[in-house]
Amino acid sequence: MAARLIFPSLLSLTAKPTVIVKLFSIRLPVLFFAGFSIFLNPQVHGQGVTVEVSTLPRVGVSINGPLGGGATEIVSNDLKRSGMISPVGSGSGDYLATGDASESGVAGRLVNKKTGEDVFNQTFTGKGRLAAHEFADAITQSVTGLPGFASSKLAFVAGSVRTQELYLADMDGYNARPITHDGTISASPDLNHDGTQLAYTSYKSGYPDVYLIDLASGSRTRIAFFPGINTGPSFSPDGSRIALTLSKDGNPEIYTMSTDGGSLTRITRTRGGETSPSWSPTGDQLVYSSDDRGSPQLFISSSSGTTDGSDWDHLVTGNSYCTKPDWSPDGKSIAFTTRIGGQFQIGVFDVASRTAQLITSNGGEDPAWTRDSRHLVYSNDGRLRLLDTVSRESLPIEVSASGCGEPTVSR
Amino acid sequence: MNNKCRLPLLIALTLVLAACGDEKNANYTGMGGDNGALPNGGVDTLNPNDAGSGIPPSPRGNFNPNDADYQTLAEDTIYFDFDKSTISGDQRAKLQAVSDWFKANPGDSLFLAGHADKRGTPEYNRALGERRALAVREYLVGLGLPAASLYTNSYGSDRPAVDGDTEEAYAKNRRVEIGVIAPKP
Repeated sequence: MAARLIFPSLLSLTAKPTVIVKLFSIRLPVLFFAGFSIFLNPQVHGQGVTVEVSTLPRVGVSINGPLGGGATEIVSNDLKRSGMISPVGSGSGDYLATGDASESGVAGRLVNKKTGEDVFNQTFTGKGRLAAHEFADAITQSVTGLPGFASSKLAFVAGSVRTQELYLADMDGYNARPITHDGTISASPDLNHDGTQLAYTSYKSGYPDVYLIDLASGSRTRIAFFPGINTGPSFSPDGSRIALTLSKDGNPEIYTMSTDGGSLTRITRTRGGETSPSWSPTGDQLVYSSDDRGSPQLFISSSSGTTDGSDWDHLVTGNSYCTKPDWSPDGKSIAFTTRIGGQFQIGVFDVASRTAQLITSNGGEDPAWTRDSRHLVYSNDGRLRLLDTVSRESLPIEVSASGCGEPTVSR
Repeated sequence: MNNKCRLPLLIALTLVLAACGDEKNANYTGMGGDNGALPNGGVDTLNPNDAGSGIPPSPRGNFNPNDADYQTLAEDTIYFDFDKSTISGDQRAKLQAVSDWFKANPGDSLFLAGHADKRGTPEYNRALGERRALAVREYLVGLGLPAASLYTNSYGSDRPAVDGDTEEAYAKNRRVEIGVIAPKP
């Protein structure tokens, strides 16, 4: 009986009408207790794995110029990692991407081969590899209607368990470099949406405090250092405020404050602990984890500071341990970490249907949406991975650092 | 006879989670607000309707947390169950010993360092370690120790006592270590 009731909704969910490009790989929906479904998808490891693609638009890539070879490789790799485009040789394809790559950038052109018309003809001037990533994102946007994320910034923590530093990298793992050298615990980084600022938790003072780094100037400001823990900052969509966890009033609660350190507003008031706030794209709501009812569950509250709990919205995911939610840029989905049978996996809560699905089967933690609201960057056993939530394909993000965790992506 | 809809049952199942033991406040009425050392120069937002313990929050002391001496009371480290911050009965004798030691060593302060095992997300573990430290603080206040001499911090899962992925290692890492802060000369 239960199966009859649950299956239709799950099936309708898996056939999301919003998906523009369909990817086909084998999916076996398996009923899990309390409405969870697991998709057994052979996890993809390493390079050179071919995905069964039948209807992906094909884009031929051929970039000339002094840096043409490298740019061709970068763009092809980015298009492949979008999960929505199949890069092919220059002789075939539905589209042809050509251009000229030099030290000053990439002059890129995309032609629709069916119509013979230029889709765009544009110069990308990002430094180094960034120009090629920008070209790839423009191609992805034009061909699929979804924004590419190859030019986003990636931040994460890496190091040993006792000493972690903050790292920045490109989305394909290149240019990974530490930006702190403090020899203490650095944790919970969050990039603001345009990637110019980074908020994070550091034990530099001996206690967990929240710091703000201006990435252009490198200046670092300690913005929250109340008694108790100050941790888990999350930028509001407009970048003017951060939500965070403070325990200054007794136990860990969610607050918001302006990025200059003022106008503190309390959001929660419980006997439990609240952590990992994440803003809705409109900025009027926060999703976070609370263990006020025993073990951690996800809740949504207004971000304006109604602490009496009247506006609490409990997201029933079907699992008793749910932490670290991340609200997608399109507002439709909330990714989170969940504990199933002693293993940590990633789930996605669909806001409209109020149902949750597991989207990993080989483990995962700390998911962060990319700007297309389709891919997640997450960590698994000290390594970073990129997950296509539609095809369920998971690819490694190889960075020159070990013990990686808590990734965050600019939008 | 068949139940037409089992969804409510399924949902209810997910809600059947053991509530945290709620032994707070029983011994501590009247403790709130009796400590003049409120943080931030006395400016704070303590609310009498707060759902917290009623004990003033732990201020930051005039010392470096990394200088706490964890050797003196190493035998009295308090251990916790997975995902719990309640102090179980078999840990309470150690807290009595800590209380006795404190009363025999007037002038010292205690630094209560909360930790979690490595399982779970770092942020949740940081809050869990904090709640463990606060639970120990509250218990010690109940034994008559002054709240102003009891400092707390949480290291989450970032400072394990033992490395490894065994249940034995996890159990040793879910803890509150009792550090001693000697008075400044």
